[in-house]
Amino acid sequence: MSEKAARWIFWVGTLVSLGVLVTLTVDTHARFAALTHADKLDAQVVAGKRAFERHNCNDCHTIIGFGSYYAPDLTRAYARLGDATTRCRLETPDVAFAASFRKMPQQHLSPEEVNDITAYLRWISEIENHDWPPQDSAARLARSTERLLAGASLSPAAALIAQNNCLACHSLGNQGGKVGPRFEWAGARHGAEWIAAYLGNPAKDDPNTQMPAFSTLSHDDRLTIGEFLVALAANRGER
Amino acid sequence: MRYQTQRLAYPYFVVALLLFPLQVLVGLWLAANYFITMPQGLVDVFPFATARAIHTNLLVLWLLLGFMGATFYVIPEETGRELAWPRLAVIQLALLAGTGVSAVVGFLFGWTQGRPLLEIPLPLDLVVVAAALMFLGNVAMTAIRARRWTATQGALLGGLTFLALLYLFGIPFYQNAAIDWYYWWFVIHLWVEGAWELIVAALTAFMLMKITGVDRRVVEKWLYVELGVFLFTGVAGTGHHYYWLGTPAYWLWVGGIFSALEPLPIVLMVVDTFRFVRESRAPLQPRLTWIYIVGGVLLHLVGAGLFGFAHTLPQINYYTHGSQVTVSHGHLAFFGAYVLLNLTFMYFALPRLRSLPGGAYDQRAGHWGFWLMSAGVVGMSLAFAVGGVLQTYLERVGGQPYMIAAQPIRFWIFVAFVHGLVVLAGATVAVVHLLRLRAPVPPPATERAAGATVAVA
Repeated sequence: MSEKAARWIFWVGTLVSLGVLVTLTVDTHARFAALTHADKLDAQVVAGKRAFERHNCNDCHTIIGFGSYYAPDLTRAYARLGDATTRCRLETPDVAFAASFRKMPQQHLSPEEVNDITAYLRWISEIENHDWPPQDSAARLARSTERLLAGASLSPAAALIAQNNCLACHSLGNQGGKVGPRFEWAGARHGAEWIAAYLGNPAKDDPNTQMPAFSTLSHDDRLTIGEFLVALAANRGER
Repeated sequence: MRYQTQRLAYPYFVVALLLFPLQVLVGLWLAANYFITMPQGLVDVFPFATARAIHTNLLVLWLLLGFMGATFYVIPEETGRELAWPRLAVIQLALLAGTGVSAVVGFLFGWTQGRPLLEIPLPLDLVVVAAALMFLGNVAMTAIRARRWTATQGALLGGLTFLALLYLFGIPFYQNAAIDWYYWWFVIHLWVEGAWELIVAALTAFMLMKITGVDRRVVEKWLYVELGVFLFTGVAGTGHHYYWLGTPAYWLWVGGIFSALEPLPIVLMVVDTFRFVRESRAPLQPRLTWIYIVGGVLLHLVGAGLFGFAHTLPQINYYTHGSQVTVSHGHLAFFGAYVLLNLTFMYFALPRLRSLPGGAYDQRAGHWGFWLMSAGVVGMSLAFAVGGVLQTYLERVGGQPYMIAAQPIRFWIFVAFVHGLVVLAGATVAVVHLLRLRAPVPPPATERAAGATVAVA
């Protein structure tokens, strides 16, 4: 490469990139008002921002993801906590976080400062920033709630089977291992009480079995599993 | 050292070196706040936020003092004449050191502008601006009087001017938080991925020319290419901070594409350094200086290039933004790119400032300093990274509340703290070693001969 080419690379690279930044900065500026709802940015919100900075809140918390990482992000704090909780934490952090392993300094904010900072947090909770942060995203919350509901609708017996890792050896539907009999079959041969007793001490019926004893489970839990297996067999409709 | 005014670098280096271990010490206190439950009474008078402001401002101050000292060393040699106003350089140091002390004491009493990294209040900002003008005026006047321009000197001066201008964006109060953060990144991003990279590339090129004896034309040609690629990717790469602050969606594309290219110039810098080392006409002595140069470019690549790239794409950054992942990247990048460069330059310049024959010095303790510091920072960054990935998974993906997700991370910050102790030990050894550099005793005959060649070069 010649020296001249090297200089060209420097000037073209620098100026193109600078051009992109400057052009987009001008355009972004024109759109900030709409994206941040600047019409709601009143004197109280500005006073809140000043108070927020005066008390150096941003060197523990992040806001829109910037700042320090010692305390929760505040972008959607107002939406997450609501008005009363936000105020309570600003007024008496020493009480609010008395049991927490991480404390927030009691800065003795004046009532005006509490109002102003609350207004500032309310304003910033509404800015349009591509739905960040994920933990406070309404769309993502809906999805995690669905997952939660799916979990809650499991029967207690299914939860016990998952908890005791039964599917490592047995299979159920299209899941599980092939060491022991399928669960859909097991319930067809015996009653629920028998299964409950067997689970407590499998070796009593078959000294050579590989099946471990689940004597730590209560009789009630073992009976729950037994009833579940019998119910599964009845639903098979093959035998 | 050929010019008397190059000695002005020395007091700058001394102040910078004294601040460095102090910064690390405050960092350890910050880490302790994560895994120890501090009592409310202590948190009320000395909160995490205050210590954090001190930690970051000390970092910026000592790195800048190091850059300025290095510039005072380079400029007379590059322009071929003494610095224009040597006394002004002393006044400038006094102003900046005074600003540093006032800022730290001020933070302790709650005197702050409250914007992360730019906490120092307006009156102190104005002192910094005055000091920056003195600095630029002094250096520019030297160059003007000499009427000799080199690419190295141009890159250095350009970087410093750019740095000073960008600082102005951080001074005003912005009513709109989104606009505030937009320009906050003009200071922070365009410093560390723009102006400071220019300074680093120029200082590295200067040292490589002096030590290896590789032709100036070759070094400066590649300096142009490096800087072109640095600025091409870095300037528009500012966009990777603009994903989630209330900006139009095109920033997701611009930020993602340009910043994905940001490791390229660092790779180029690594390749160039290795090539100049291979083509060196002089024996590579002292060995420790070389370990610093090579270790610096490699950790620059890992910390800034790879750790940065890992979470720069918007699809990933959506989950990692503002988490301990950022902390991990920040520590390794600052150490690899700027801390090591400053220390490297000091290892290059101090023996010459002390007129040690051939720039040779007794290296023994220095090796301990380098390896302890580097191993400590790498380990610390990995511990932060594990904490960051945990936080990302538990809080951002799993939706756990911040404080619940923070519980398992405490252990990993403790691991980072233990590594921080190693960093403090290494930094202390390196600083004491640098401040007390002595001629090697007894100097081996071969090294003396090698040193003589270097001195001629």
